[in-house]
Amino acid sequence: MSDISRSHEYLSFRSTIPQRKIIVDDDNSKEWTLYEAGPKTVKSPLICFPPASGTADVYFRQVLGLSALGYRVIAVEYPIYWTMKEFVEGFRKLLDHLVLDRVHIFGASLGGFLAQKFAEHSCRSQRVASLILCNTFYDTTIFQQTNSAPTFWMMPAVYLKKMVMGSFERRATEPEIVDSIDFMVEKLDGMSQQALASRLTLNCMNCYVEPQKLRDVDILLMDVFDECALSSGVREEMCKCYPEAKRAHLKTGGNFPYLSKSTEVNVFLQIHLRKYDMGPYRARELTENELQLLSEADGTLNKSS
Amino acid sequence: MASRKKVLLKVIILGDSGVGKTSLMNQYVAKKFSNQYKATIGADFLTKEVMVDDRLVTMQIWDTAGQERFQSLGVAFYRGADGCVLVFDVTMPNTFRSLDSWRDEFLIQASPRDPENFPFVVIGNKIDLENRAVSARRAQGWCHSKGDIPYFETSAKEAINVEQAFQAVAKNAMAQESDVELCSDFPDPIKLKDDQAKPRENCAC
Ligand SMILES: Nc1nc2c(ncn2[C@@H]2O[C@H](COP(=O)(O)OP(=O)(O)O)[C@@H](O)[C@H]2O)c(=O)[nH]1
Ligand SMILES: [Mg+2]
Repeated sequence: MSDISRSHEYLSFRSTIPQRKIIVDDDNSKEWTLYEAGPKTVKSPLICFPPASGTADVYFRQVLGLSALGYRVIAVEYPIYWTMKEFVEGFRKLLDHLVLDRVHIFGASLGGFLAQKFAEHSCRSQRVASLILCNTFYDTTIFQQTNSAPTFWMMPAVYLKKMVMGSFERRATEPEIVDSIDFMVEKLDGMSQQALASRLTLNCMNCYVEPQKLRDVDILLMDVFDECALSSGVREEMCKCYPEAKRAHLKTGGNFPYLSKSTEVNVFLQIHLRKYDMGPYRARELTENELQLLSEADGTLNKSS
Repeated sequence: MASRKKVLLKVIILGDSGVGKTSLMNQYVAKKFSNQYKATIGADFLTKEVMVDDRLVTMQIWDTAGQERFQSLGVAFYRGADGCVLVFDVTMPNTFRSLDSWRDEFLIQASPRDPENFPFVVIGNKIDLENRAVSARRAQGWCHSKGDIPYFETSAKEAINVEQAFQAVAKNAMAQESDVELCSDFPDPIKLKDDQAKPRENCAC
């Protein structure tokens, strides 16, 4: 077992936060898996979308860390969906089921791509308050797998796992990054062939985001400056695609900074979400102290010098 | 050939409230200035790409205020800082006297490897105002006593010397950075991926 799985922090996460399963489709086998923490009074929580290899619990450090600060955080794991249409409609039904009008989404790798696709899909209904995209992309053709993607469903699990494993950085030396890889390998190992095949299909099937449809969405782009599966060219493309987006760079973090550099990632998430604190799309409940400080800053201090 | 690793420099701005930290950052990054005073709540950061000795460097500049009371970001705010800008207002002597404690606070919180040679820069801001109360000589004396910290007199309002001050902190931070790179035990591995015309991305994880 990996060090993270054995850590006190992870064990306490699993023993305090219940795992929920929710079915929103007619097909009873399509189950969403959720971990949720924080006040239910908050109607615009932070939803976390995992990468292809990840389960919902890869975000346990965001769920624990941010809920301790008053945020409502929901880490989800997708059912076996084979098409983008199925995914965006499925997620919309999940939001309806949870009675959430507008949410903030934090997505990494495939999760970031899906978050953009959902924002694009719901650009009229505006179900997305903001996006935080980590180590991600906006066009699946970069993987040059669009031809083989339709056959993933029948590929043996070993083959699919190798495909993903091949992109894990093996030369990592920072202990936190090494630990994060061990943990992800374990998650990947535990995945069924169907689950993994469906995610890789979404990941590689010919599809792209139309950035003009996301023009009005507040976006934070998070990425690492050390080695990760995506080349720096792809990361720069993301920045060009969203020139208005704020950029949160991490010196190091590897493929899974939300695990390896969770403190820094959580600070970026906090700063990003803070601008919603006083409005209808707030992701947390403020303390008395903070409410007072904010009203002071808006009132008395807001004078011309 | 030596590899040109992308560099991210984390720079922190500290100083009493009202000295012009947020204005300096906005002037430097966005070339904007506002007379409106809105107290900074919590921390925020901005990113700017700069050339330092022919090398493209990404600067991440962190501004702060009222941290104690508003959603403290703790040591993560200071962690990994490569440079620090200490700011005072040349018309307010008390803000100059605070520099000592800001410097100490930074060194305690960030605990850099080599505190003696950490790249600080001191800024005396608001030199466009008439009622100057801290002389350049006095400020330089303090900087000298702290290991020859570079000193700049600026106006965020009139965009005087702001570029130069931040450029200096970037340059000094880079100098430290390359020292570390030279000490590195790990040689840069040969990368095949970058040599290919159109590399195929690793299937995301
Ligand atoms: N005249 C003048 N005013 C300035 C200058 N820099 C900042 N200010 C003003 O000083 C006040 C405080 O600035 P601010 O950047 O918010 O200070 P901070 O609390 O250190 O972030 C604001 O009203 C600014 O407009 C400057 O260079 N000259
Ligand atoms: Mg300020």
